[in-house]
Amino acid sequence: MKIGFIGLGIMGRPMALNLLEAGHELKVWARRPESMAPLLAAGAAPGENPADLGSWAELVISMVADAPDVRQVMLGEQGLACRPRSGLVAADMSTIAPVAARAIGGDLAAAGIDFLDAPVSGGEAGAIAATLAIMVGGSQAAFDRALPAFTAMGKNIVHVGASGAGQVAKAANQVVTGMGVLAVAEAFNFARQSGVDPARVREALLGGFAHSKILENHGQRMLERNFKPGFKAWMHQKDMNIVMATAFELGVMLPGAAATAQLFNAMVGQGLAEKDSIALLELLEQLSGR
Amino acid sequence: MKVGFIGFGAMGLPMARHLAGAGHELHVWARRPEALAPLADCAARELASPAALAAACEVVISSVTADADVAGLVQGSAGLLAGAAPGFIHVDMSTISPGTARELAAAYRDKGADFLDAPVSGGAQGAVAASLAIMAGGRTETLERVRPLLACLGQGIVHVGESGAGQVAKACNQMIMVAAIEAVAEALHLAVAAGVDPARVKAALAGGSAASRVLEVMGERMVQRDFAAGIEARLHHKDFGILLREAFRLGVPLPLAAQVGQQLNALMGQGWGRDDTAALLRVLEQADRGGNSEGPASRSCSPLLEWGPRGLV
Repeated sequence: MKIGFIGLGIMGRPMALNLLEAGHELKVWARRPESMAPLLAAGAAPGENPADLGSWAELVISMVADAPDVRQVMLGEQGLACRPRSGLVAADMSTIAPVAARAIGGDLAAAGIDFLDAPVSGGEAGAIAATLAIMVGGSQAAFDRALPAFTAMGKNIVHVGASGAGQVAKAANQVVTGMGVLAVAEAFNFARQSGVDPARVREALLGGFAHSKILENHGQRMLERNFKPGFKAWMHQKDMNIVMATAFELGVMLPGAAATAQLFNAMVGQGLAEKDSIALLELLEQLSGR
Repeated sequence: MKVGFIGFGAMGLPMARHLAGAGHELHVWARRPEALAPLADCAARELASPAALAAACEVVISSVTADADVAGLVQGSAGLLAGAAPGFIHVDMSTISPGTARELAAAYRDKGADFLDAPVSGGAQGAVAASLAIMAGGRTETLERVRPLLACLGQGIVHVGESGAGQVAKACNQMIMVAAIEAVAEALHLAVAAGVDPARVKAALAGGSAASRVLEVMGERMVQRDFAAGIEARLHHKDFGILLREAFRLGVPLPLAAQVGQQLNALMGQGWGRDDTAALLRVLEQADRGGNSEGPASRSCSPLLEWGPRGLV
């Protein structure tokens, strides 16, 4: 399939490489030209701008930071809606607010483009291994057309519902992972401050009901004090803000997520923004006086 | 002074009347002209648009609901900004985000006019009694020009700082006040669950360190189960949206405000947004079904698990 790919950061680069690997024809574009280099070296063609990708590809995928970036590459000047190829499907795999995804989907529909919100979970490791969980909102027809691309990047691919449903699932995912990281960090800090080796605690817990991927993977990185991103703290903060703003609009109470979001605020406030979000452990240690 | 007024709700209406009562030439505009009926005895002059109001007045005061409402008054071909001559001042007394206040101030200054953010605290009661606390953000000389007007509306007028600073102060005010309302609700809820008369608890606390205006006013509403609005809870919910967004933007942790925000979310979800914020008590009652079960009240704590100076042993 002819696929355009926009956004070649920590997540986007390995995802695009996996599309090439699976035999798709790829044209890429990134705001900073130097981030295109590894893809061009692997056989992708360079695009001039998002509009260029939209007029050439059957499917354009974006993997950028936030809703304004998505809107810019889709609907902005030189956006892919400028002169889209007939039948174009646009799949945004960034994490943005459900309400923003619905609005962008509506505007793209008016330009004759079928939009999917298709955020992912699984982090950099999942992107490299092509094992991402992909949660998709949008029409069945667009989902079916994009599926060959999704299967090249992920394992658990679920069509959750209509436009915005993928982002709702991702927001729910961030509630679970945000609180999950906090839970593991709290448990480790609690163990250590109680004079017990958190590594042994992790080992003991892995067999029981507290077992989780987060305890296993993130927990291991916490023990190694490996706070290299991964998933940066400011991105987790941004995602929690999407969750909390959506809950605010709906009048839904999320007390646990609210507490977690405030700790992410503190991380960003004290300059831990560029570390992995598991550096939450460092914050808890500080606040407990080490 | 030729003063314009926009926004005739529970706050705005008594404020406008005070201005007319002090001898200022009151000019008004309302989206729905029927909102002006209660001002019939004030000899207010009605204008056709915010732009016309701005053109006719030295100062326009607005008291509306949210960021979009204020921005809607200012912008567009019929907006205040379109009618503002150099030297014109818009004083906005609504509670909006500091960022919007800063943007509006910049837009006015581009035209040689100016803007003050001057949100208030004190509720409808304070508006009627002209005893509002007014927290102003903007230029000193601008505040001094409108001070005679503000003095008709409130007693404590504090120049907090540059544009937006008044709204920052208001956000701080809302954090403290609504958290206090939640604290009073929880305390009285615990009293009821423990089989103690909440009116007596409130009376007992009034003389001590927990005494506060919130305990007095909101506590009384809770005791009386009078949830008819003074200030509608949906407005406090809106304010918490503002301040939690600021916390996100600045990277500041507000753990308590975040929890209070969740209680307000639950209140909204229950459909009580038009009730008084004293209805935070009802959110707690909803959570344990009024505390009437035999469960927690009859459960005795093992002394080994009591929290306190003896610790856990």
